[in-house]
Amino acid sequence: MTAATRAAGVLTTSQAAERRRARTIGVVFLLAAAVMGAGFGLGVEAGLDSTFGLNVRGTGAELPDLVVPSRLVAAVLAVVCAGLGGVQLARGFTRRLPAVAAVVAVCFVAAFLTWAAAGASFNLTGMLQSTLLRATPLALGACAGVLCERAGVVNIALEGMMLTAAFTGALVASAAGDQLVGVVGAVAVGGLLGLVLALLSIRYRVDQIIGGTVINIFALGLTSFLSQKVFSEYQELNSPGVLRVVRIPLLAELPVLGPVLFANNLFVYAMLLLVPLLTIGLFRTRWGLRVRAVGEHPRAADTVGIDVLQVRYRTVVLGGMVAGLAGAFFTLGSVGRFDENMTAGRGFIALAALIFGRWHPVGALAAALVFGFAESLQSKLAILSTPIPSEFLLMAPYLVTLLVVAGVVGRSRAPAADGQPYVKG
Amino acid sequence: MRTRRWFQITALLAGLSLFAAACADEDDEVATDDQSETEDGSETESESDTESESESGAGSGSGGEGFKACQVTDIGGIDDRSFNETAYEGILRAEEELGAESEFLESGGEEDYATNIAALMDQGCDLIVTVGFLLGDATLEAAEANPDQDFAIVDFAYDEPVDNIKPLLFNTNEAAFLAGYLAAGMTETGTVGTFGGVNVPPVTIFMDGFLAGIEHHNTEKGTDVALLGWDGADGLFTGDFEDQDKGRQTAQSLLDEGADIVFPVAGPVGLGAAAAVRDAGDANMVWVDSDGCESAAEFCDLFITSVLKNIDNAVFDTIETAQAGELDGEPYLGTLENDGVGLAELHEFEDDVPQELKDELEALQASIIAGDIPVGG
Repeated sequence: MTAATRAAGVLTTSQAAERRRARTIGVVFLLAAAVMGAGFGLGVEAGLDSTFGLNVRGTGAELPDLVVPSRLVAAVLAVVCAGLGGVQLARGFTRRLPAVAAVVAVCFVAAFLTWAAAGASFNLTGMLQSTLLRATPLALGACAGVLCERAGVVNIALEGMMLTAAFTGALVASAAGDQLVGVVGAVAVGGLLGLVLALLSIRYRVDQIIGGTVINIFALGLTSFLSQKVFSEYQELNSPGVLRVVRIPLLAELPVLGPVLFANNLFVYAMLLLVPLLTIGLFRTRWGLRVRAVGEHPRAADTVGIDVLQVRYRTVVLGGMVAGLAGAFFTLGSVGRFDENMTAGRGFIALAALIFGRWHPVGALAAALVFGFAESLQSKLAILSTPIPSEFLLMAPYLVTLLVVAGVVGRSRAPAADGQPYVKG
Repeated sequence: MRTRRWFQITALLAGLSLFAAACADEDDEVATDDQSETEDGSETESESDTESESESGAGSGSGGEGFKACQVTDIGGIDDRSFNETAYEGILRAEEELGAESEFLESGGEEDYATNIAALMDQGCDLIVTVGFLLGDATLEAAEANPDQDFAIVDFAYDEPVDNIKPLLFNTNEAAFLAGYLAAGMTETGTVGTFGGVNVPPVTIFMDGFLAGIEHHNTEKGTDVALLGWDGADGLFTGDFEDQDKGRQTAQSLLDEGADIVFPVAGPVGLGAAAAVRDAGDANMVWVDSDGCESAAEFCDLFITSVLKNIDNAVFDTIETAQAGELDGEPYLGTLENDGVGLAELHEFEDDVPQELKDELEALQASIIAGDIPVGG
C-alpha cells in the first residue's frame, strides 16, 4: 500500500466517524423533540396556561406577567427541535452545530418550564437572579483555579482557601465594623494560602494533589476549632452583616435584565468584571502569554528568559486571592455569619466547573451558570409541586453537571505541564 | 538536602492540621462540665481524678450524686440555635438542679453516630441522649448490645418499645397548626412559604400542622391563603441542616413567588433564610424549635412567633426518671396540653397581631387540646 492510499484510507475512516457522530446528534435532537411533544405537550391538560412572573420585589419597572398556553408552546418548541433534528440528519450542520445544539437545549428547557408551570405561575426573573447569585462563588473559585492551573500548579485547595477566607471575612469585618475591610482581609488570607500552596508545590515539589489536600484538611480543622473557641464565646465577632445591593442607576430599571444583572452586591459585579479581564489578560497580553507558556512548556519558557518559578509564584498567589474573594461571598455576600464547613464542598464544584470550562474563564462561568441554574430550578420545581420527588430534585444539579461534563464537553485538555514541578537545568 | 526539607515541611503542616482537627474534636468532647477533661489531660496528669470520675460513672445509676447525662448531637452541632442546643439546655438544667454531670459529642456526619455513642459509654455515662431521627438505628444497635445502658432518643419511635430507650416524641403539628393559623391571619400577599432541611417525619410534621392551620383559617374565615413549599405529600427541602447559603437562596425563591411569611424547618439553615427575609424588607418569619428571639436574637424583629418544641423539658424529666432508676421504653409525648410543644410569645409583634386573632388562637388551642380539631400529620 502506498503512502497516498493509506492517507486516503485514514481520511475516509475519520469521515465515517464524523458522519456517525452527526447522525447520533440528529437522533438525539429528534428524541428531545419527542419528549417535548409527547411528555411536556400532551402531558398537560388542554387549555391550561403557564404564567411566568417577570418582576422582582423592589425593582422599578413593572411588567405584566407572561402568560402562555402550555400545550401550544411545548408543541411549537417540539416542532422547532424536530425540524433542526431533521436537517441535522439530512445534511448536518457542520460549523454551526454548537449554536444549533444550544438552541435545542434552550428549547428543551423552555418546554420543560412551560410544562412545570402549567396551571400555575413562577417567577422567571427571580430564577435568573438566583442562578447568577448561586453561580458567583463557583465562577470566582473556578477563575482562581484557572490562574493556578494555567501556570502549571494544580489547585485542589480551592475549598480550603474559600473556607478560611469566609472565616476571615466574617472575623475582620465584624472587628472593623466594615464589610469591605473584611473582603480585603479575606483576599489577603486567600493570597497567603496561595503562597503556602506555591511554596509546597514549587519550592518543595510536594505532590500537588497531596499539598492541596493538606491545606483543605488544615483549613477545615482550623476554622472549626476557631469558630468553636472564638465565635461561640464572642458572638459579636461573628456578625459582619451582608454587603448591600448596589443598584446601577438607569440600567437597574431595565425590565428583567435590570434586576438580574444590575442590582447585585459587589461579589457579582467583581465576578462579571473578572471573567472578561482574565480572558483578555491570559490570552491577549504578554503577562498571559508568559503564564500560559510556563504552564504548557516551562523549559521552553525558561530558554527564552522567563523566570518560570517567579511567574508561578505570582500567579498562584493571585489565584489564592481570587479564591479568597470567592470565600468571602459566603459570609459577607450571603449569610452574614460564619458556620463550620459552610462552603459545603463548593470549592470542589468550582474545580469541576474549571475542568468543564476547559481551563478558560468564560467556560468556567458558563459551567457555574449551568450548575446555578440547575440548583435554582430545583427549588422552583419543588415550590410548583411537580410530580418529581424532592429527593430526586436535590440530586438534579449534580446530575446535570455530570451529564454536561461527560456528554457535551467530551475531552478537554489540561495545560501540558499542569501538576509538574519545574526543575531548572 | 531539598527533598528532606520539603518532607519536613509537609509533615509539619500535616501534623498541624491534624492537631487543629483534633483540637476541634476535643472541644466537642470537653463539654462545659467542670469535671471533664481532655483525653490528653487525663493521660498526663490527675490520674486519681480520672479514676474517681470513671468510678462515679460506673457506680451510679440510682441515687443523686455522680449521675452523668450525655448527649450525642446530630450534624447541626451543639450550638445550632435549634434542636441540639435545646436538648443540651435540658442537660445543663439537670446539671444545675439535679447535680448531674454532663458531656456531649458532636457528630460531624452519619458515620460518627455509632462511634460517639460508644465513646460516651466508655466515659461512664449513665444516660445517653441521642438527638435526632437520623440516630435511630445507631441508638437501637447500641441499646441492644448494652442492655444495662440507659438511652433516650429525640424524635424517633420504635415499632416495638425497647426497654432501655426512652423515645421523646413531640406533636409539633399541634403548635405548628396555631402558627399556620396566625400566619394566614397576618399575611398581606395571601401567600406563605415553608421549607425543610431533610424530608423526614420530624421535619414534615411541622409542615403538616402549618398547612392544616392555614387551611383551617381559609375555611373558617373564607380566606384564600396559599402555602408554598409543602402540599401535604412533598415539598421544598435544602438537603441538609448546614448549608446556610442554600437556605438563603431557597427562602429567596419563596419570596420571589410572593410569600411574605417564611417558615423554615431546618435548624441553623433557617439563619440563611433570615438573612434573605431581612434584605427583602417587607417579609417576616416564623422560627422553629426554640424561641427565636432568644436563640437568634439579632433577627427578633422578623419573628412573628416561634413554634416551640420543648425538648429541654423532656430531656430534663427523662434525666430525673433515669436518675431514680425508673427509665422505661414508654414514649414521652410532648403536646400542647403538657407544654411539650407550644407557640412562643409574640415579642415585637405583640401590637401588630389584632386582639381578635389572639382570642381565636386561644380558643383554637383549647379545642386542639380537647381533640376537636384535626391538626394534620
